[in-house]
Amino acid sequence: MENSNDNTSRYVQTMIAGLWRENPTLRLLLGMCPTLAVTAAVKPALTMGCSVIFVLVCSNIIVSLMRNLLKPHLRILMFTLTIATFVTIADLFLKAYLPRMSEMLGPYVPLIIVNCIIICRAEACASKNPLFVSIIDAVGMGIGFTVTLCVLASVRELLSTGKIFEVSLMPNAFVPWAALGMPVGAFITLGLMIGLVNIITGKKA
Amino acid sequence: MQESWLLIVASFFFGLLIAVTSSGLSPRIRQNEINKRNRLVSALLPEAKDFVPLDEQLEIQSPRGKPENIDIYKAVSEANECVGWSFEAVGSGFADKIKLVIALDKNLEKIAGFDVLASNETPGFGDRIKTDYYRDQYKGAPAGELKLVTVGEPGKIDSEIVAISGATISSEAVVEIVSNYVTQVKEQMQKKGIIGNGKQ
Repeated sequence: MENSNDNTSRYVQTMIAGLWRENPTLRLLLGMCPTLAVTAAVKPALTMGCSVIFVLVCSNIIVSLMRNLLKPHLRILMFTLTIATFVTIADLFLKAYLPRMSEMLGPYVPLIIVNCIIICRAEACASKNPLFVSIIDAVGMGIGFTVTLCVLASVRELLSTGKIFEVSLMPNAFVPWAALGMPVGAFITLGLMIGLVNIITGKKA
Repeated sequence: MQESWLLIVASFFFGLLIAVTSSGLSPRIRQNEINKRNRLVSALLPEAKDFVPLDEQLEIQSPRGKPENIDIYKAVSEANECVGWSFEAVGSGFADKIKLVIALDKNLEKIAGFDVLASNETPGFGDRIKTDYYRDQYKGAPAGELKLVTVGEPGKIDSEIVAISGATISSEAVVEIVSNYVTQVKEQMQKKGIIGNGKQ
């Protein structure tokens, strides 16, 4: 009985770690390239987030299943091979079912292969932990990444176009702040978000 | 060499997985591309019902002298009459390549318009080549050399295209791509006798 309680609290801890305490974007500062590149609007950010969740879960499953077979010198090679496979599959699915979104994201979908969040989770979690913990970890980290991307994208989309999800939200007098839709805006907004999170966590500690 | 069997087995397994997904989805992906081009061209040639590729490809020289083979599509109406022509065109933009689809009228005398298939121009500036303000200037313009001007009347349809303020390079790029492709396509089609007899 005690054992199963321990397990449950471990799963919850793993999940929360991904969402907040070790949030990949805001706390670990991993996966900065897609974070800066696709957050000009909420839709592409959400698509990117979901693709990353898919790849992360699949790669963690495979890596966790073969963790006892991995030898140190083959480790990174196997991770990359696994990740590249699922990214290619995700890319094909986007091209087939969400062609417009796939065009908007352009090269950033294939670039998920080099997203360090995924290889970090394979190395730090999946290659050392049993299947279920690895899946929970992937889901937690993936959702943490997606939520962060969406928050960042909402701020940028709202201020640069006055819309969220292409629905107008701002009064007519609002003057769109085009710079926020450009890379400059991504850096500034992300910087402010990380600063804010540091203040919040600093106070708690 | 230890454990390299794992790598071989995994490569084989992953390769198979990608092959299956790809073969399952590729007809859909190809169809998406065709649909997009047809949708854009249909907006430019409203009478068109179907697009038939010509058997022969045309060779177009880019401004830097690089040859490229392109497909020419004949747009046909419901009554199976030719209502225009369309083809894809590529050239350098401000930061990345600009890929356009260009439509011409059936006699290759006027440009029916263009639309952007793929581009990566600066949001808010260069990407305004996709707006009606800029694109409408091409609708009905003579099929030949076009010229970019910075001051002019955008409403007047002629070979002068008024640049988007703040995006002269992107505006110029589109003018260059359209002029280059249209003049060469027209010349080659006339030489080959594909048009000129009024029927085909």
